[in-house]
Amino acid sequence: MSRFLFVVPPFAGHILPTLAVGQQLIDRGHTIAWTGHPATLGPLLPPGAHVIPIAAEFSGQRLAEIRSRSLGLRGTAAFRFLWAEVLIPLAQSMVPAVTAVVDDFRPDVLVVDQQAPAGALVARQRGLPWATSATTSAELTDQFTTMPKVGAWARQCLFDFQRDFAVAEPVDLRFSDHLVLVFSTIALLGPSCEFPGHYAFVGPSIGERAGVPGFPWNWLDPHRAHVLVSLGTLNQEAGRRFFTTVLAAIAPLADQLQAIIVAPPHLIDSLPDHVLVREFVPQLDLLPHLHAVVCHAGHNTVCETLSHGVPLVVAPIRDDQPVIANQVTTAGAGIRVHFSRVSAGELRTALTTVLANPSYRSAARRIQTSFTAAGGAAAAADHLEKLL
Amino acid sequence: MTSEQVLADVRAILIEIMGAEYALSLDIGMETAFEADLELESIEFVKLSTMLAEHYDDRIDFVGFLADKNLNEIIDMTVGDVVTYIARCLDGTHAVTVDA
Repeated sequence: MSRFLFVVPPFAGHILPTLAVGQQLIDRGHTIAWTGHPATLGPLLPPGAHVIPIAAEFSGQRLAEIRSRSLGLRGTAAFRFLWAEVLIPLAQSMVPAVTAVVDDFRPDVLVVDQQAPAGALVARQRGLPWATSATTSAELTDQFTTMPKVGAWARQCLFDFQRDFAVAEPVDLRFSDHLVLVFSTIALLGPSCEFPGHYAFVGPSIGERAGVPGFPWNWLDPHRAHVLVSLGTLNQEAGRRFFTTVLAAIAPLADQLQAIIVAPPHLIDSLPDHVLVREFVPQLDLLPHLHAVVCHAGHNTVCETLSHGVPLVVAPIRDDQPVIANQVTTAGAGIRVHFSRVSAGELRTALTTVLANPSYRSAARRIQTSFTAAGGAAAAADHLEKLL
Repeated sequence: MTSEQVLADVRAILIEIMGAEYALSLDIGMETAFEADLELESIEFVKLSTMLAEHYDDRIDFVGFLADKNLNEIIDMTVGDVVTYIARCLDGTHAVTVDA
Protein backbone atom coordinates (compact mmCIF):
# COMPACT_ATOMS: atom_id res chain seq x y z
CA MET A 1 0.00 0.00 0.00
CA SER A 2 1.11 3.55 -0.67
CA ARG A 3 1.76 6.79 1.14
CA PHE A 4 -0.03 10.07 0.43
CA LEU A 5 0.88 13.45 1.94
CA PHE A 6 -1.61 16.34 1.96
CA VAL A 7 0.07 19.74 2.09
CA VAL A 8 -2.43 22.36 3.24
CA PRO A 9 -2.46 26.07 4.13
CA PRO A 10 -3.79 27.21 7.51
CA PHE A 11 -7.27 27.94 6.12
CA ALA A 12 -10.22 25.78 7.15
CA GLY A 13 -11.98 26.04 3.80
CA HIS A 14 -8.95 24.54 2.09
CA ILE A 15 -8.53 21.74 4.63
CA LEU A 16 -12.12 20.49 5.02
CA PRO A 17 -12.52 19.03 1.49
CA THR A 18 -9.35 16.96 1.96
CA LEU A 19 -10.71 15.16 5.02
CA ALA A 20 -13.14 12.88 3.17
CA VAL A 21 -10.55 12.20 0.45
CA GLY A 22 -7.99 11.22 3.08
CA GLN A 23 -10.54 8.94 4.75
CA GLN A 24 -11.26 7.23 1.41
CA LEU A 25 -7.56 6.52 0.95
CA ILE A 26 -7.25 5.24 4.53
CA ASP A 27 -10.24 2.92 3.95
CA ARG A 28 -8.40 1.54 0.91
CA GLY A 29 -5.41 0.66 3.07
CA HIS A 30 -3.09 3.57 2.24
CA THR A 31 -1.04 5.54 4.73
CA ILE A 32 -2.03 9.21 4.91
CA ALA A 33 -0.64 12.27 6.61
CA TRP A 34 -1.53 15.95 6.58
CA THR A 35 1.20 18.53 6.99
CA GLY A 36 0.37 22.08 7.93
CA HIS A 37 -0.05 24.48 10.79
CA PRO A 38 -1.14 22.71 13.96
CA ALA A 39 -3.30 25.58 15.28
CA THR A 40 -5.63 25.27 12.27
CA LEU A 41 -5.24 21.58 11.44
CA GLY A 42 -5.67 20.23 14.96
CA PRO A 43 -9.32 21.14 15.55
CA LEU A 44 -10.42 20.14 12.02
CA LEU A 45 -8.90 16.70 11.62
CA PRO A 46 -10.63 13.69 13.15
CA PRO A 47 -9.03 12.05 16.19
CA GLY A 48 -6.34 9.64 15.14
CA ALA A 49 -5.52 11.48 11.91
CA HIS A 50 -1.80 11.63 11.24
CA VAL A 51 -0.79 15.27 11.46
CA ILE A 52 2.80 16.35 10.85
CA PRO A 53 2.99 19.85 12.30
CA ILE A 54 5.34 22.32 10.67
CA ALA A 55 7.09 25.17 12.42
CA ALA A 56 4.41 27.65 13.32
CA GLU A 57 5.81 30.79 11.71
CA PHE A 58 2.21 31.47 10.86
CA SER A 59 1.00 31.16 14.42
CA GLY A 60 -2.59 31.54 15.52
CA GLN A 61 -1.84 35.13 16.46
CA ARG A 62 -0.28 35.98 13.08
CA LEU A 63 -3.23 34.37 11.31
CA ALA A 64 -5.66 36.41 13.41
CA GLU A 65 -3.76 39.59 12.42
CA ILE A 66 -3.93 38.61 8.74
CA ARG A 67 -7.67 38.00 9.03
CA SER A 68 -8.35 41.32 10.70
CA ARG A 69 -6.23 43.23 8.14
CA SER A 70 -7.99 41.53 5.24
CA LEU A 71 -11.49 42.36 6.50
CA GLY A 72 -11.53 45.86 5.05
CA LEU A 73 -9.98 44.87 1.71
CA ARG A 74 -11.88 44.26 -1.52
CA GLY A 75 -11.14 43.45 -5.13
CA THR A 76 -7.61 43.93 -6.40
CA ALA A 77 -6.37 45.35 -3.07
CA ALA A 78 -7.46 42.11 -1.37
CA PHE A 79 -5.81 40.17 -4.20
CA ARG A 80 -2.48 41.99 -3.73
CA PHE A 81 -2.65 41.46 0.04
CA LEU A 82 -3.44 37.74 -0.32
CA TRP A 83 -0.49 37.06 -2.61
CA ALA A 84 2.18 39.52 -1.44
CA GLU A 85 1.51 39.36 2.29
CA VAL A 86 -0.03 35.96 2.89
CA LEU A 87 0.51 33.25 0.27
CA ILE A 88 4.09 33.99 -0.78
CA PRO A 89 5.51 34.54 2.76
CA LEU A 90 3.56 31.44 3.83
CA ALA A 91 5.06 29.43 0.97
CA GLN A 92 8.57 30.70 1.74
CA SER A 93 8.22 29.74 5.39
CA MET A 94 6.83 26.28 4.51
CA VAL A 95 9.52 25.13 2.05
CA PRO A 96 12.19 23.99 4.57
CA ALA A 97 9.57 22.36 6.82
CA VAL A 98 7.77 20.54 4.01
CA THR A 99 11.13 19.35 2.62
CA ALA A 100 11.96 17.82 5.99
CA VAL A 101 8.50 16.23 6.23
CA VAL A 102 8.79 14.71 2.74
CA ASP A 103 12.26 13.31 3.42
CA ASP A 104 11.03 11.76 6.65
CA PHE A 105 7.51 10.55 5.70
CA ARG A 106 8.59 9.48 2.19
CA PRO A 107 5.24 9.88 0.41
CA ASP A 108 4.60 8.28 -2.97
CA VAL A 109 2.26 11.12 -3.94
CA LEU A 110 1.74 14.67 -2.65
CA VAL A 111 -1.67 16.34 -2.71
CA VAL A 112 -0.97 20.06 -2.70
CA ASP A 113 -3.50 22.79 -2.09
CA GLN A 114 -3.38 25.70 -4.55
CA GLN A 115 -2.65 28.02 -1.62
CA ALA A 116 0.26 25.90 -0.36
CA PRO A 117 2.62 26.07 -3.37
CA ALA A 118 5.55 25.11 -1.13
CA GLY A 119 4.32 21.53 -1.44
CA ALA A 120 4.42 21.70 -5.23
CA LEU A 121 7.93 23.16 -5.18
CA VAL A 122 9.21 20.39 -2.91
CA ALA A 123 7.46 17.66 -4.96
CA ARG A 124 9.15 18.92 -8.11
CA GLN A 125 12.54 19.16 -6.39
CA ARG A 126 12.21 15.57 -5.15
CA GLY A 127 10.82 14.30 -8.47
CA LEU A 128 7.61 13.02 -6.84
CA PRO A 129 4.20 12.90 -8.53
CA TRP A 130 1.86 15.52 -7.10
CA ALA A 131 -1.75 16.48 -7.51
CA THR A 132 -3.25 19.94 -7.19
CA SER A 133 -6.11 20.23 -4.72
CA ALA A 134 -8.35 23.03 -6.03
CA THR A 135 -10.71 23.44 -3.10
CA THR A 136 -12.18 26.49 -4.81
CA SER A 137 -12.63 26.58 -8.57
CA ALA A 138 -11.97 30.32 -8.81
CA GLU A 139 -8.31 29.95 -9.84
CA LEU A 140 -9.41 28.02 -12.93
CA THR A 141 -11.00 31.05 -14.52
CA ASP A 142 -9.65 34.57 -14.72
CA GLN A 143 -10.85 36.64 -11.79
CA PHE A 144 -10.11 40.05 -13.29
CA THR A 145 -11.06 39.55 -16.91
CA THR A 146 -10.69 43.20 -17.91
CA MET A 147 -7.30 43.51 -16.20
CA PRO A 148 -4.86 40.93 -17.61
CA LYS A 149 -1.85 42.43 -15.81
CA VAL A 150 -3.37 41.51 -12.44
CA GLY A 151 -3.31 37.75 -13.10
CA ALA A 152 0.12 38.08 -14.71
CA TRP A 153 1.43 39.72 -11.52
CA ALA A 154 0.33 36.74 -9.39
CA ARG A 155 2.03 34.31 -11.78
CA GLN A 156 5.20 36.41 -11.55
CA CYS A 157 5.03 36.24 -7.72
CA LEU A 158 5.00 32.43 -7.99
CA PHE A 159 7.93 32.47 -10.43
CA ASP A 160 9.98 34.77 -8.20
CA PHE A 161 9.24 32.53 -5.22
CA GLN A 162 10.65 29.53 -7.11
CA ARG A 163 13.74 31.46 -8.26
CA ASP A 164 14.48 32.26 -4.59
CA PHE A 165 14.77 28.51 -4.06
CA ALA A 166 16.96 28.06 -7.16
CA VAL A 167 14.29 26.36 -9.26
CA ALA A 168 15.63 26.43 -12.81
CA GLU A 169 12.34 26.03 -14.64
CA PRO A 170 9.57 27.73 -12.68
CA VAL A 171 5.98 26.78 -13.47
CA ASP A 172 2.57 27.90 -12.28
CA LEU A 173 2.51 25.88 -9.08
CA ARG A 174 -1.29 26.17 -8.81
CA PHE A 175 -1.70 23.62 -11.59
CA SER A 176 -0.04 20.21 -11.52
CA ASP A 177 0.83 18.56 -14.85
CA HIS A 178 -0.12 15.19 -13.30
CA LEU A 179 -3.58 15.80 -11.84
CA VAL A 180 -5.72 18.79 -10.88
CA LEU A 181 -8.51 17.76 -8.50
CA VAL A 182 -11.33 20.29 -8.71
CA PHE A 183 -13.99 20.04 -6.01
CA SER A 184 -16.69 21.36 -8.33
CA THR A 185 -18.23 20.47 -11.69
CA ILE A 186 -18.37 21.96 -15.17
CA ALA A 187 -22.13 22.39 -14.64
CA LEU A 188 -21.27 25.05 -12.05
CA LEU A 189 -18.11 26.47 -13.66
CA GLY A 190 -19.95 27.02 -16.92
CA PRO A 191 -20.10 24.80 -20.00
CA SER A 192 -17.96 27.25 -22.01
CA CYS A 193 -14.93 26.41 -19.86
CA GLU A 194 -12.56 23.87 -21.39
CA PHE A 195 -9.76 22.13 -19.53
CA PRO A 196 -7.04 19.56 -20.27
CA GLY A 197 -7.68 15.86 -19.61
CA HIS A 198 -5.75 15.76 -16.34
CA TYR A 199 -8.27 18.12 -14.72
CA ALA A 200 -10.68 15.94 -12.69
CA PHE A 201 -13.97 17.57 -11.70
CA VAL A 202 -14.97 15.41 -8.75
CA GLY A 203 -17.59 17.69 -7.20
CA PRO A 204 -17.66 18.72 -3.56
CA SER A 205 -16.02 16.52 -0.96
CA ILE A 206 -18.23 16.86 2.08
CA GLY A 207 -17.37 14.68 5.02
CA GLU A 208 -18.79 14.20 8.48
CA ARG A 209 -18.65 17.37 10.54
CA ALA A 210 -18.56 17.70 14.31
CA GLY A 211 -22.12 18.12 15.59
CA VAL A 212 -23.51 21.39 16.93
CA PRO A 213 -25.72 20.42 19.84
CA GLY A 214 -28.64 22.44 21.10
CA PHE A 215 -30.19 23.61 17.84
CA PRO A 216 -33.92 24.28 18.44
CA TRP A 217 -35.34 22.11 15.68
CA ASN A 218 -38.89 22.58 17.02
CA TRP A 219 -38.63 26.31 16.24
CA LEU A 220 -38.85 25.55 12.50
CA ASP A 221 -42.45 26.07 11.35
CA PRO A 222 -43.32 23.60 8.56
CA HIS A 223 -45.74 26.11 7.03
CA ARG A 224 -43.09 28.77 6.36
CA ALA A 225 -39.99 28.85 4.13
CA HIS A 226 -36.63 28.57 5.90
CA VAL A 227 -33.72 30.77 4.96
CA LEU A 228 -30.15 30.51 6.25
CA VAL A 229 -28.04 33.69 6.28
CA SER A 230 -24.31 33.04 6.61
CA LEU A 231 -21.19 35.05 5.83
CA GLY A 232 -18.87 32.18 6.64
CA THR A 233 -16.61 32.02 9.64
CA LEU A 234 -14.37 34.98 8.81
CA ASN A 235 -16.70 37.81 7.90
CA GLN A 236 -19.19 37.92 10.73
CA GLU A 237 -17.91 41.14 12.33
CA ALA A 238 -17.64 42.84 8.93
CA GLY A 239 -21.25 41.91 8.29
CA ARG A 240 -22.97 44.28 10.71
CA ARG A 241 -24.43 46.46 7.95
CA PHE A 242 -25.38 43.44 5.88
CA PHE A 243 -27.14 41.69 8.77
CA THR A 244 -29.06 44.91 9.53
CA THR A 245 -30.12 45.05 5.87
CA VAL A 246 -31.21 41.40 6.02
CA LEU A 247 -33.38 42.11 9.08
CA ALA A 248 -35.02 45.08 7.33
CA ALA A 249 -35.50 43.02 4.16
CA ILE A 250 -37.30 40.18 5.92
CA ALA A 251 -39.22 42.31 8.46
CA PRO A 252 -42.45 42.29 6.40
CA LEU A 253 -42.11 38.59 5.53
CA ALA A 254 -42.80 37.10 8.98
CA ASP A 255 -45.87 35.22 7.75
CA GLN A 256 -43.90 33.66 4.86
CA LEU A 257 -40.49 32.74 6.19
CA GLN A 258 -38.19 32.08 9.10
CA ALA A 259 -34.54 33.10 8.94
CA ILE A 260 -31.56 31.61 10.75
CA ILE A 261 -28.68 34.07 10.87
CA VAL A 262 -25.20 32.73 11.59
CA ALA A 263 -23.58 35.51 13.60
CA PRO A 264 -22.43 36.40 17.09
CA PRO A 265 -25.64 37.53 18.84
CA HIS A 266 -24.15 40.93 19.78
CA LEU A 267 -24.15 41.94 16.10
CA ILE A 268 -27.93 41.78 15.91
CA ASP A 269 -29.73 44.61 17.65
CA SER A 270 -33.34 43.51 17.85
CA LEU A 271 -34.67 40.10 17.13
CA PRO A 272 -38.18 39.51 15.74
CA ASP A 273 -39.90 36.18 16.36
CA HIS A 274 -39.26 34.82 12.88
CA VAL A 275 -35.48 35.24 13.16
CA LEU A 276 -33.02 33.03 15.02
CA VAL A 277 -29.41 34.05 15.60
CA ARG A 278 -26.77 31.44 16.36
CA GLU A 279 -23.00 31.77 16.33
CA PHE A 280 -22.72 28.15 15.14
CA VAL A 281 -25.32 26.06 13.33
CA PRO A 282 -25.35 22.44 12.18
CA GLN A 283 -25.27 23.62 8.55
CA LEU A 284 -25.23 20.19 6.90
CA ASP A 285 -28.16 18.99 9.05
CA LEU A 286 -30.08 22.20 8.38
CA LEU A 287 -29.72 22.19 4.59
CA PRO A 288 -32.45 19.58 3.92
CA HIS A 289 -34.90 21.92 5.71
CA LEU A 290 -33.91 25.08 3.82
CA HIS A 291 -35.60 26.84 0.88
CA ALA A 292 -32.87 29.42 0.23
CA VAL A 293 -29.43 30.42 1.49
CA VAL A 294 -28.16 34.01 1.62
CA CYS A 295 -24.36 33.97 1.78
CA HIS A 296 -21.01 35.52 0.80
CA ALA A 297 -20.46 32.98 -2.01
CA GLY A 298 -17.70 31.13 -0.19
CA HIS A 299 -16.98 28.03 -2.24
CA ASN A 300 -17.76 25.50 0.49
CA THR A 301 -21.04 27.14 1.56
CA VAL A 302 -22.17 27.46 -2.07
CA CYS A 303 -21.30 23.83 -2.87
CA GLU A 304 -22.95 22.47 0.28
CA THR A 305 -26.08 24.49 -0.54
CA LEU A 306 -26.20 23.33 -4.17
CA SER A 307 -25.54 19.73 -3.05
CA HIS A 308 -29.02 19.96 -1.54
CA GLY A 309 -30.53 21.65 -4.60
CA VAL A 310 -31.20 24.85 -2.64
CA PRO A 311 -31.05 28.23 -4.48
CA LEU A 312 -28.98 31.17 -3.27
CA VAL A 313 -28.74 34.91 -2.88
CA VAL A 314 -25.02 35.70 -3.07
CA ALA A 315 -23.25 38.80 -1.77
CA PRO A 316 -19.55 38.23 -2.49
CA ILE A 317 -17.05 40.13 -0.37
CA ARG A 318 -13.52 39.33 -1.60
CA ASP A 319 -11.05 36.74 -2.90
CA ASP A 320 -12.68 33.92 -4.87
CA GLN A 321 -16.21 34.90 -3.86
CA PRO A 322 -17.03 37.19 -6.82
CA VAL A 323 -16.02 34.40 -9.22
CA ILE A 324 -18.14 31.81 -7.41
CA ALA A 325 -21.06 34.27 -7.24
CA ASN A 326 -20.84 34.65 -11.01
CA GLN A 327 -20.90 30.89 -11.44
CA VAL A 328 -24.08 30.70 -9.35
CA THR A 329 -25.90 33.41 -11.32
CA THR A 330 -24.70 32.14 -14.71
CA ALA A 331 -25.98 28.67 -13.80
CA GLY A 332 -29.32 30.26 -12.89
CA ALA A 333 -29.18 28.97 -9.31
CA GLY A 334 -29.24 32.33 -7.58
CA ILE A 335 -29.25 36.11 -7.62
CA ARG A 336 -26.23 38.30 -6.87
CA VAL A 337 -26.37 41.48 -4.78
CA HIS A 338 -23.62 43.90 -3.77
CA PHE A 339 -22.39 43.16 -0.25
CA SER A 340 -21.79 46.78 0.76
CA ARG A 341 -24.44 48.57 -1.26
CA VAL A 342 -27.50 46.32 -1.31
CA SER A 343 -30.65 47.93 0.06
CA ALA A 344 -33.35 46.18 2.09
CA GLY A 345 -35.74 46.45 -0.84
CA GLU A 346 -33.29 44.90 -3.32
CA LEU A 347 -32.45 42.11 -0.93
CA ARG A 348 -36.15 41.41 -0.28
CA THR A 349 -36.83 41.24 -4.02
CA ALA A 350 -33.85 38.92 -4.57
CA LEU A 351 -34.90 36.61 -1.75
CA THR A 352 -38.60 36.45 -2.61
CA THR A 353 -37.66 35.85 -6.26
CA VAL A 354 -35.43 32.83 -5.59
CA LEU A 355 -38.11 31.48 -3.23
CA ALA A 356 -41.05 32.01 -5.59
CA ASN A 357 -39.58 31.41 -9.04
CA PRO A 358 -39.05 27.65 -9.48
CA SER A 359 -36.35 28.15 -12.12
CA TYR A 360 -33.77 28.90 -9.40
CA ARG A 361 -34.51 25.68 -7.54
CA SER A 362 -34.45 23.62 -10.74
CA ALA A 363 -31.09 25.13 -11.69
CA ALA A 364 -29.80 24.33 -8.21
CA ARG A 365 -31.06 20.76 -8.66
CA ARG A 366 -29.24 20.49 -12.00
CA ILE A 367 -26.00 21.35 -10.18
CA GLN A 368 -26.93 18.91 -7.41
CA THR A 369 -27.30 16.14 -10.01
CA SER A 370 -23.92 17.00 -11.52
CA PHE A 371 -22.32 16.88 -8.05
CA THR A 372 -23.77 13.44 -7.34
CA ALA A 373 -22.59 12.12 -10.71
CA ALA A 374 -19.07 13.54 -10.18
CA GLY A 375 -18.34 11.09 -7.38
CA GLY A 376 -16.86 13.37 -4.70
CA ALA A 377 -14.17 12.07 -2.37
CA ALA A 378 -14.29 8.50 -3.78
CA ALA A 379 -13.67 9.78 -7.31
CA ALA A 380 -10.83 11.96 -6.00
CA ALA A 381 -9.26 8.89 -4.36
CA ASP A 382 -9.61 6.93 -7.63
CA HIS A 383 -7.72 9.64 -9.52
CA LEU A 384 -5.02 9.84 -6.84
CA GLU A 385 -4.45 6.07 -6.94
CA LYS A 386 -3.84 6.33 -10.69
CA LEU A 387 -0.79 8.51 -9.95
CA LEU A 388 0.95 5.57 -8.25
CA MET B 1 -15.58 68.27 -24.65
CA THR B 2 -14.36 69.51 -21.28
CA SER B 3 -13.33 67.39 -18.33
CA GLU B 4 -16.41 68.64 -16.46
CA GLN B 5 -18.69 67.28 -19.16
CA VAL B 6 -16.87 63.94 -19.25
CA LEU B 7 -17.03 63.74 -15.47
CA ALA B 8 -20.80 64.30 -15.64
CA ASP B 9 -21.09 61.45 -18.19
CA VAL B 10 -18.93 59.06 -16.18
CA ARG B 11 -20.80 59.94 -13.00
CA ALA B 12 -24.15 59.21 -14.69
CA ILE B 13 -22.89 55.83 -15.92
CA LEU B 14 -21.55 54.92 -12.47
CA ILE B 15 -24.87 55.86 -10.87
CA GLU B 16 -26.65 53.59 -13.33
CA ILE B 17 -24.25 50.72 -12.55
CA MET B 18 -24.35 51.11 -8.78
CA GLY B 19 -28.02 51.93 -8.49
CA ALA B 20 -29.33 55.45 -7.88
CA GLU B 21 -30.54 54.70 -4.36
CA TYR B 22 -26.96 54.14 -3.19
CA ALA B 23 -24.89 56.14 -5.66
CA LEU B 24 -26.78 59.41 -5.26
CA SER B 25 -25.72 59.47 -1.62
CA LEU B 26 -22.09 59.63 -2.78
CA ASP B 27 -20.17 62.65 -3.99
CA ILE B 28 -18.42 61.21 -7.03
CA GLY B 29 -15.57 63.50 -8.06
CA MET B 30 -12.18 63.35 -9.78
CA GLU B 31 -10.49 62.05 -6.60
CA THR B 32 -12.99 59.23 -6.01
CA ALA B 33 -11.23 55.85 -6.11
CA PHE B 34 -13.10 53.07 -7.90
CA GLU B 35 -12.11 50.40 -5.44
CA ALA B 36 -11.60 52.06 -2.05
CA ASP B 37 -14.48 54.54 -2.35
CA LEU B 38 -17.01 52.93 -4.69
CA GLU B 39 -16.13 49.26 -4.10
CA LEU B 40 -16.61 48.72 -7.81
CA GLU B 41 -16.46 44.98 -8.46
CA SER B 42 -14.76 43.22 -11.35
CA ILE B 43 -18.13 42.47 -12.96
CA GLU B 44 -19.02 46.18 -12.69
CA PHE B 45 -15.79 47.14 -14.45
CA VAL B 46 -17.00 44.98 -17.32
CA LYS B 47 -20.30 46.91 -17.30
CA LEU B 48 -18.47 50.24 -17.10
CA SER B 49 -16.37 49.21 -20.07
CA THR B 50 -19.44 48.30 -22.14
CA MET B 51 -21.35 51.44 -21.22
CA LEU B 52 -18.41 53.76 -21.94
CA ALA B 53 -17.94 52.07 -25.32
CA GLU B 54 -21.63 52.60 -26.12
CA HIS B 55 -21.58 56.19 -24.95
CA TYR B 56 -18.43 57.31 -26.79
CA ASP B 57 -18.64 54.90 -29.74
CA ASP B 58 -15.16 54.03 -30.95
CA ARG B 59 -13.60 57.31 -29.93
CA ILE B 60 -12.10 55.74 -26.81
CA ASP B 61 -10.53 52.34 -26.08
CA PHE B 62 -11.36 51.76 -22.43
CA VAL B 63 -10.68 48.02 -22.74
CA GLY B 64 -7.14 48.84 -23.89
CA PHE B 65 -6.80 51.50 -21.17
CA LEU B 66 -7.68 48.95 -18.45
CA ALA B 67 -5.62 46.16 -20.00
CA ASP B 68 -2.56 48.39 -19.83
CA LYS B 69 -2.90 49.09 -16.09
CA ASN B 70 -0.78 47.11 -13.68
CA LEU B 71 -2.03 45.90 -10.32
CA ASN B 72 -1.01 48.95 -8.28
CA GLU B 73 -2.42 51.36 -10.85
CA ILE B 74 -5.75 49.56 -10.76
CA ILE B 75 -5.90 49.58 -6.97
CA ASP B 76 -5.29 53.35 -6.93
CA MET B 77 -7.35 54.22 -10.02
CA THR B 78 -9.62 57.24 -9.61
CA VAL B 79 -12.57 58.57 -11.57
CA GLY B 80 -10.20 61.41 -12.54
CA ASP B 81 -7.78 58.99 -14.24
CA VAL B 82 -10.59 57.72 -16.46
CA VAL B 83 -12.05 61.17 -17.11
CA THR B 84 -8.62 62.54 -18.10
CA TYR B 85 -8.06 59.61 -20.46
CA ILE B 86 -11.47 60.04 -22.10
CA ALA B 87 -11.08 63.81 -22.42
CA ARG B 88 -7.70 63.36 -24.15
CA CYS B 89 -9.14 60.78 -26.55
CA LEU B 90 -11.98 63.12 -27.43
CA ASP B 91 -9.57 66.01 -27.99
CA GLY B 92 -7.60 63.84 -30.37
CA THR B 93 -4.41 64.46 -28.39
CA HIS B 94 -4.24 60.85 -27.24
CA ALA B 95 -3.90 57.86 -29.49
CA VAL B 96 -7.14 55.91 -29.37
CA THR B 97 -5.26 52.63 -29.06
CA VAL B 98 -3.17 52.49 -25.94
CA ASP B 99 0.38 51.38 -26.58
CA ALA B 100 1.46 48.46 -24.46
